[in-house]
Amino acid sequence: MIPALGEVALWIALPISIWGCVLAFLGGRWSRGDLVLSGERSTFAVTALLSIAALGVVVAFMGDQFQYWYVYNYSSTNLHPYYKFSGLWAGQRGSLLFWGLNLSLFSSLALWMNRSRNRDLMPYVNGVLLAFLAFFISISLFVTPPFEQLGFTPTDGRGLNPQLQNYWMTIHPPTMYLGFTSFTVPFAFAMSALMVGRLDARWIQATRKWILTSWFFLSLAVIFGMRWAYEELGWGGYWFWDPVENASLLPWLVATAFLHSVMIQESTGMLKVWNMGLVVLTFLMTIFATFLTRSGLIESVHSFAQNLTIAWIFLGCLGVTGGVALVLIIWRLPLLSSDRQFESMLSRESAFLLNNLVLLGVAFAVTWGTLFPLITEGLTGSKVSVGPPFFNQVNIPIGLILLALMGIGPVIAWRRASPRNLRRNFLFPCAVFLGILTILFSVGVRHFYALLTFSLGAFVLTVIVVEFWKGTRARARIEEENSFTAFVHLIRRNRRRWGGYIVHVGVVIMFMGFAGTAYDREVRQSMVPGETLTIQSPFGYEYALTYQGLSTTLVPSMRQAIALFTVQKDGVDIGSITTERQLVLAVNPPQPISQVGVRSTLVEDLYLILATVDDAVLLGSNDPQFQRATFQVLVNPLVPWIWYGGLILATGALIGLWPGAGAPTRSARMGSRGGASTGTGAPGVGPNGEASSTDLSTSVSATVG
Amino acid sequence: MSAIIPGVLLALAAVFLVLHPILTGREASMEWDKEELTEAQHRRNVALLALRDVEYDFHAGKLDERDYRAMKQEISSEALDAIDEEEAEWHARGVEGVELAVPGASEGLEAEIAALRASIREGIVCPQCGHPNPRGSRFCGDCGSALPARTGATESVAGGS
Repeated sequence: MIPALGEVALWIALPISIWGCVLAFLGGRWSRGDLVLSGERSTFAVTALLSIAALGVVVAFMGDQFQYWYVYNYSSTNLHPYYKFSGLWAGQRGSLLFWGLNLSLFSSLALWMNRSRNRDLMPYVNGVLLAFLAFFISISLFVTPPFEQLGFTPTDGRGLNPQLQNYWMTIHPPTMYLGFTSFTVPFAFAMSALMVGRLDARWIQATRKWILTSWFFLSLAVIFGMRWAYEELGWGGYWFWDPVENASLLPWLVATAFLHSVMIQESTGMLKVWNMGLVVLTFLMTIFATFLTRSGLIESVHSFAQNLTIAWIFLGCLGVTGGVALVLIIWRLPLLSSDRQFESMLSRESAFLLNNLVLLGVAFAVTWGTLFPLITEGLTGSKVSVGPPFFNQVNIPIGLILLALMGIGPVIAWRRASPRNLRRNFLFPCAVFLGILTILFSVGVRHFYALLTFSLGAFVLTVIVVEFWKGTRARARIEEENSFTAFVHLIRRNRRRWGGYIVHVGVVIMFMGFAGTAYDREVRQSMVPGETLTIQSPFGYEYALTYQGLSTTLVPSMRQAIALFTVQKDGVDIGSITTERQLVLAVNPPQPISQVGVRSTLVEDLYLILATVDDAVLLGSNDPQFQRATFQVLVNPLVPWIWYGGLILATGALIGLWPGAGAPTRSARMGSRGGASTGTGAPGVGPNGEASSTDLSTSVSATVG
Repeated sequence: MSAIIPGVLLALAAVFLVLHPILTGREASMEWDKEELTEAQHRRNVALLALRDVEYDFHAGKLDERDYRAMKQEISSEALDAIDEEEAEWHARGVEGVELAVPGASEGLEAEIAALRASIREGIVCPQCGHPNPRGSRFCGDCGSALPARTGATESVAGGS
């Protein structure tokens, strides 16, 4: 019954969302509080209805209700409940509903958080959000109906794609959806600010944490995707410049640019059009990513079946949204003029602007490389593919510029910096840069990009450590705190600045992890049990892997061959490692998948792939003559750093996101009023201003945040 | 089939929830909220934040003393402008006696504002560095330069609002 009720709920949600959208705009236009309230309640109602619809899908999956097309195609009786639950986003039909559900939850959250704030903006914000909700609900009802029935009830389903039967399936896609959908909220605020014409800094304030939240989820999702690919797809790498990987990177790149340039607008009132453009572009990129993934137009590991209807619908959405945003921006251009001019080319503002241009450069290159095959095919009919060499060739140098900027930015003062101070501040980091460069060169690192990445990375880390050290020292001296307390307080008092630096540390570590690729080692060998294969680590160890044999498992749903190796590192036993190959019969046609074996240390991964195995083994033969198999062994230096870096990045983002010391309560303010009105001295700004000015930052960040 | 009755109930509940405000005249707030920052308050916060950044940059050795003084004066004057404007906003709303209860501000900021405000009214803003000094000061508490007579100094920095 619940799936049936879910379908009804989805149908009810459509008129409610349209009604709410119209009333929200009318209520805003006519300043009618009752219409506005009705519009807001529509959003809450739609959230409840979509929750029931999603529950319906989940119940249908859990209860093996194969009369539903969607359940039949993405599940089977023997599927683990874990993956039955994730059936909600396993296929096109469920994932668009899930998308709508996430969007409705974020919309409701935004309305609730602004129930007594930004009231002049909220009707339009709500209107925009409901328009997109209506869009997704319509697609769910008319194009990709999750509740469509087959007309009969098969005894079993076709099963879930075995490659999706991985624990990352329950983590990576939802994180991506959270990142994508939450970006609708800042976009809605931007549109609302344009419609109302209230283009002062307040809409930026209202959306800052939202954008950081989206960015946080997008970052995590991209990293999770890399990890999943690394563990599951078995080509030895984590990033293949696959169109859908690229698509997920695009909004991240533009959002990163925005997170930097918005600081300039906040502090100086410049770049208003630019920032508005970046918010719109980021949002368009999320739709573009959806278009690429859902249309199946470009071949990808994420291949959803090709669906031209969906392709046209999302393309239309992209066009209409972009067009409306453009018209609104042009209409409001007079209100978007800068409050001032750039004071100096040598300032943090210009470093940020350069960072923006570089990030957008990467975004452009990635978009071009992703779309080029599609465009070429459209024009000439011939298929071309743009592979990793193009992306690496273009993006590695740009990435290095970005890395250098991460070190330069923090050292340059706001507004205008003097060359003399720059020289003084850069002296030590530059010395570290040259020192590391020399050391690495002398130990034999000759790969140009790797050499530069490690040295620049050391330069950036030095700059950041010095920043922390100077800040802590100043605070410890003035507040008479011990270093640890001073350090913690320093971060707490200006979370965005210090959280941002921690994110930079994460990015640097990740970049070093990427650079490790230059020293990947690979051996491919056909072996029989008892044979030993050796591989050199770039760090000088030698791994010896002895093939012990294959064991096979036969169950009705699959054939599985597991190869066991014992591993020695420089002659010392360090344990065993297994790698498997499966032929999944539960899907039609049967699909082979591999499970790689990974042994991780702090600095490198030993990565083992069972590349080919005799068909007889998968047919169930345990005859020793069929035990010969081909293995691919890789030593991937520094790959673990990517995950450590990701962890640091997420920590930094969380520090920036963490709710402020709290919006002060009314009583706290009443208390402080008395205190302040008697305080006619000048407590804030003085040579020891660092202390009180950091106090200031708490209150201001609580306010602004 | 079994879903018909719950479905109808669900539809009725949704319609009731959505129509209720229009039928009963309940309204969502359309008003500016007392808790919310006004544009002037926001500008003031931004100026004070910039002041903090400039100070940090100076103490971290990224700024020359001369630039630091100049910028501090510039930003202080921006903050003072914003505070003036903010006061005007409060008066325009007819709100009296809550001048210092700035929404969203806590003690550090309140004190800062109080200091700046006091220096506008009765104290002296240093023409060299923009540092607000208490009434009667003859030398700047920050940069140590001699302070001129009260009125002139105040106008030179706080003027233009």
